[in-house]
Amino acid sequence: MRNVMAIVYRDALIRLTSLTWLFFDMAVPLLYLLMFGVGFNKAVGIGVTTFGESVPYNNFFLAGVLSMSCFGSAINQAYGFFVDRDNGIFYEFLTYPMTRGELLFGKMLFQCVMAFAQTVLTIGAAIIVLGIPVNISLLPLTFLVVMVGIAGWFFALSIVAFRIRRNDAFNTVINVTYFVLMFISSMFYPLDSVPEWLRYISYANPLTWHTDILRYLTVGIGELNIILFETTGFMLFLFTSFWFAQQALKKAA
Amino acid sequence: MEAISVHNLVKEYPRAGESPLRAVDDISFSVERGSIFGLLGPNGAGKSTTIKVLSTLIPPTSGSILVNEFDVLTQALDVRKSLCVVLQESAVEVFLTVRNNFLTFGRFHGMTSAEIERKMGRVVELFGLGEVISQKPIDLSGGMKRRVQVAKMFLVDTPIVFLDEATTGMDTFNKRATIKAIKEEAQHGRTIVLTTHMLEEAEELCDAIAIINHGKIVASGTTDEVKNMGLQMFYLSMKFNEMGKELEELIQKFAPVKLEIQNREVSLTVREHHIALDILALARSTGALKQFEISTASLEDVFVELIDRKKANTAS
Repeated sequence: MRNVMAIVYRDALIRLTSLTWLFFDMAVPLLYLLMFGVGFNKAVGIGVTTFGESVPYNNFFLAGVLSMSCFGSAINQAYGFFVDRDNGIFYEFLTYPMTRGELLFGKMLFQCVMAFAQTVLTIGAAIIVLGIPVNISLLPLTFLVVMVGIAGWFFALSIVAFRIRRNDAFNTVINVTYFVLMFISSMFYPLDSVPEWLRYISYANPLTWHTDILRYLTVGIGELNIILFETTGFMLFLFTSFWFAQQALKKAA
Repeated sequence: MEAISVHNLVKEYPRAGESPLRAVDDISFSVERGSIFGLLGPNGAGKSTTIKVLSTLIPPTSGSILVNEFDVLTQALDVRKSLCVVLQESAVEVFLTVRNNFLTFGRFHGMTSAEIERKMGRVVELFGLGEVISQKPIDLSGGMKRRVQVAKMFLVDTPIVFLDEATTGMDTFNKRATIKAIKEEAQHGRTIVLTTHMLEEAEELCDAIAIINHGKIVASGTTDEVKNMGLQMFYLSMKFNEMGKELEELIQKFAPVKLEIQNREVSLTVREHHIALDILALARSTGALKQFEISTASLEDVFVELIDRKKANTAS
């Protein structure tokens, strides 16, 4: 655990060197929720229909924002490997007295700390500014799912970062992947009304699983049996990603 | 007692559509505890690849490698707990101050903040980093960044230190500081393995060396053993009051390994001591010889000779 905390300490020091970076880390999900969400809420009027009930778009979109910020945070942290590689420190890290798993776990844990702060702000704004009826009793579980989401995406994106040596290629691959995954998920719209082929594809997407779980926990939309199935899927995604990320890291030098 | 033991190390890099590139080709050597061991060789010889294998950065293709009695493949974490490494590439936290570079590095090696603070003073003084301690390496010169990178290694007490071209890019002051630190650490029982192009540096520092070329060891042993490795090379330097073209032509006939003539000064390296004496006799016969010096050849002469021999053998 000492090594994991050393990584958290190091990443925290680096993040604190740039207040601009820190501000935007916190602000981006809020801006999404308050600008995109509010604008869309007005545009769609009475809201969206999902699982047989009509809900305001803001309520529906809150989980999408949380899920999106998990994915975005994971991208930032995985991209950090390129910065470390450019500075040469990445290779020195690999000679430090820690396992490859500890290195990955430490980086993931730091991002979880950041995500915790992001989630507090986002949910706070959702309740106070937008009046979204967030299920307070399930908040601890919501925070846990946010962190699990960060971990899953960070490990998955790390595999890509270790396999692709060029940061421009990484950026292109991740931007395209992010774009596609967002629009074949339940992040922006309910899957009830999309074409059947798209629904099938969307239900095979970990971003859908993570968003649906968060939506169920925050505003109670969804069916428990589907959520349990999606939770199992995401946990499998998490552990598989972690295993492959460790293997990729062993070959990264 | 051996700190490092390498037997039949082979490292190949796969290449698309071609046979693998054999960077290290069946080398064996050992390093005694508390000694300074130098891996010498030209660019692309396989020195850095060897260091990368020893520090668990990359796995060997085959061979048995023990570092501090731990196997690099099956006990990689124990190996890493035994060492710290200055890689050939620059490696500093450019966004953290020099002080925070020390703090993070120390923490990764299990030191408490109090321990780091206590040891940091000596290292900062030794490497002359006092003035830049609050600056970020992103604002420092390349040489200064290298200084920070090397200085970190002297903050911790791991029994083994790898220094891959550690003094590259440093000015004379920092080279001296690094050499002093390396000597001190070895005196305290740490084992130092260094790679360098600077043969005077190796000659000054190393208890034992291995010369590596095209992935193979072409000579190894103590520095003196390698210098005397059946080569019987001698260095002769002469100064003349006056010097004609005919003397240069006569010396050329002895086929020296190396010959340099500047104004009225001649320095040369020859393979046999009797050749050196013959040239000296010839020089005295001119009546213009003012001063001379004869000694065994430097490590650099031996190094060049061994690499040339290897090239000649490969060509034939």
